[in-house]
Amino acid sequence: MVFSSLLFLFLFLPAVLALYYVSPWRIKNLILFLSSLVFYAWGEPVYIVIMLLSTITDYGFGLLLSRPKLTKVQRKWIVVSSMVINLGLLSYFKYADFLIQNVNELLGTHIPLTDLPLPIGISFYTFQSMSYIIDVYRGTAKAQRNWIDFGTFVALFPQLVAGPIVQYNTIAEQLRARSVDIPMFAEGVRRFIIGLAKKVLLANNIGLLWHTISSSNLDSMPALTAWIGIIAFAFQIYFDFSGYSDMAIGLGLMLGFRFNENFNKPYISQSITDFWRRWHISLSSWFRDYVYIPLGGNRRGLGIQVRNILIVWLLTGIWHGASWNFLLWGLYFGVILIFEKWWGLKLLSRLPRWTRHLYAIVLILIGWVLFAFEELPLVLSYLQAMLGFNAQPLWDTTTLYFTYTNAILLVVLTLASVPLKLFKRMDDRTIPSLIWYGVLFFLSVAYLVDATFNPFLYFRF
Amino acid sequence: MKQRTDRILVVGFVATLFLVGITFFLLPVQRFSELENRYLQSAPQLTWDNLLSHTYAEEAESFVTDHFPFRAKWVWVKSAMEQMRLQQENNGIYKGKDGYLFEKFEAPDHNKFQQYTAAVKRFADKNAEAKTTFLLAPTSVGFYNERLPWLAPVYSQAEVNQTIAEDVGDSLTFINGFNVLAPHAAEDIYYRTDHHWTTYGAYLAYVTYAKSMGWLPLSQSEFEIETVSDSFLGSYHTRSQFIGVAPDSIQVYKPVHDVSTKMHIVDTGETLTSMYDPSYLEKKDKYSYFLGGVHALMKITSQLDPKVVKQEKLLVIKDSYAHSVIPFLAQHVPEIHVIDIRYYNGSISDYMAQNDIKDVLMLFNTATFVDNASILKLN
Repeated sequence: MVFSSLLFLFLFLPAVLALYYVSPWRIKNLILFLSSLVFYAWGEPVYIVIMLLSTITDYGFGLLLSRPKLTKVQRKWIVVSSMVINLGLLSYFKYADFLIQNVNELLGTHIPLTDLPLPIGISFYTFQSMSYIIDVYRGTAKAQRNWIDFGTFVALFPQLVAGPIVQYNTIAEQLRARSVDIPMFAEGVRRFIIGLAKKVLLANNIGLLWHTISSSNLDSMPALTAWIGIIAFAFQIYFDFSGYSDMAIGLGLMLGFRFNENFNKPYISQSITDFWRRWHISLSSWFRDYVYIPLGGNRRGLGIQVRNILIVWLLTGIWHGASWNFLLWGLYFGVILIFEKWWGLKLLSRLPRWTRHLYAIVLILIGWVLFAFEELPLVLSYLQAMLGFNAQPLWDTTTLYFTYTNAILLVVLTLASVPLKLFKRMDDRTIPSLIWYGVLFFLSVAYLVDATFNPFLYFRF
Repeated sequence: MKQRTDRILVVGFVATLFLVGITFFLLPVQRFSELENRYLQSAPQLTWDNLLSHTYAEEAESFVTDHFPFRAKWVWVKSAMEQMRLQQENNGIYKGKDGYLFEKFEAPDHNKFQQYTAAVKRFADKNAEAKTTFLLAPTSVGFYNERLPWLAPVYSQAEVNQTIAEDVGDSLTFINGFNVLAPHAAEDIYYRTDHHWTTYGAYLAYVTYAKSMGWLPLSQSEFEIETVSDSFLGSYHTRSQFIGVAPDSIQVYKPVHDVSTKMHIVDTGETLTSMYDPSYLEKKDKYSYFLGGVHALMKITSQLDPKVVKQEKLLVIKDSYAHSVIPFLAQHVPEIHVIDIRYYNGSISDYMAQNDIKDVLMLFNTATFVDNASILKLN
């Protein structure tokens, strides 16, 4: 199930809210756990077994870790076993075919592909589950004895399929006790509506422009069309993803949870270092806390730090998908970050603000080209089009058509990407703001219904 | 005050979720949607098989969206918003000038449509003893560039037709719809809200075809032209739901010297005494007034004066552009076989041999032709 569906909005969500609020406190987590299982099984009726398996093993490992009188070595073994199981599942479903393909190509072998579809959300819930075991191992969290509470942590439907990735230590307390009052619930509603509108009104519509441009002939594409295209993609991916995070955070608030923020206006960044502090924060902090710092971070000399940065960014890249372009995308940012650490940031600080901003945006956009096309030849063709190496005019009438038919949307997207004083000043708890949220919700539903509008026109026949 | 607005928001939001959910259950389950012209998803069956194969979830999602309360009104709201933000298209339809709606026509896959053209050529070569005519009509978007929204991109159908004309060469008689319609561009040859040509457009095509066959086409004065509907909002309107679109009217050309005609629909075994089905004029899909819509195989027989008949039989292989042309042809040919190649799965050559057919008319519009793999069934 996804949040931006009518079935979720008008059947699943009211049913869960009703059950959750009429139940006594001690079964509230059970209600959440069960409804999360329904939510997940709706999309993955079979693979839910994998999620349960990973949950049960980590619950068990957590209990083992909490036993007194374990030697250091024993504790290490427990953590390693948990990592092997989690990463094993993740690798088998996500990376096996990628590996087999490359081995086949390299060695000319004919190992058959597994052809398994990727279980929904596996990259998110395995990371959450691992954070729990590591937190318990490090002593930053206590082992969870209640299996319902632990199941709720892993499967909690607001953040199950697309994050934010919740680290166990940030939520352990809330699993045990939490409360909701009217202002908190209202905050959740506002957050949810903002997220829904970002996804349905902004991301989906600008996505159509990206779809049109990316599927047209790249060899005859004017440079400006290519730039408009990748800008459209940048907006699409940001508003889609951050919209989903907003909905998750909003739903969490309605149920009494406070999740950490996942995005913080990434497109106002003035360097790539800045960008990665603002983009998918829960993922970068996961890698920072559980990979970069344990590897020694920046405290063990320059060489080690460069190595650590490269490891983290290759992992970040491949986390996004089993394909060379994602690996390259990660590496690309790793290299830029290393550059910024040693000279770049100093250099940038001497430049005027707008150049810093331009520098960051251009590098981010080039990054999105790497991200958007899984086939490397297409990445190259698209970059060539952007740089005008395909011997096409700078723009043509179609460029103008794309621009003026999306002008209003592009302005709205830009305004929504920067911190606006107007919105800062606007009190969320006034009548005009009530109307504002009402209109956003109303329009989102209209666009959702239209997306399923599917007339059968015995077209041409 | 602040507490109160929060309360209103929470109550309003939760109440909306519940009310819409409840309305969904209270509204009657509809089987057919006039607006969308299709059967709606029925309530999903809860079985283990359905659950495990994901069918249940998919059907339930479709069931909810298909029966969402006030579905048509929501679609209207979205269309209005899109127009307000200067978007010139909605769901693949351009809002053109002079009340015209157009379907986007993008660069077709050259490889594919050259295969289709080759199939037509091969068919004509294989049945060399029969006279094959191929009439390829542009759709309105190919014809009215100047009525498109400002700067809207469109691929040239004239170019596509030209390529196809060159590819089929001398194997058959090729009639390029552009040449037929161009002299009459200022007249109403296309519906503004639908993807078909008007009866007048069809009449022009008939005249050209008749001349190429050596028949004497009937002049317009030999028909009583009657408007049978003036509330036709066609498929382009259905898809786009643009606001402020004036409906089209549908004309029928009734010959002054009427001939009695029988239409035998082989698919259903029905035989009708008219080539028009007025019941469709009350429905959304009004173009199905002509020939009663799509059938895989039909046989139309007319009682013509044997003295004027120059040709006994004709096979029409077609898309729906032919539906408004065939009634004209029935004024000249006593036995017309009509095959819709998308639904007909037999061998067409065998069919021609069995029925002793020596003349074939292939009638398609450019948009269908370049995107219709079933044409490969010709051979």
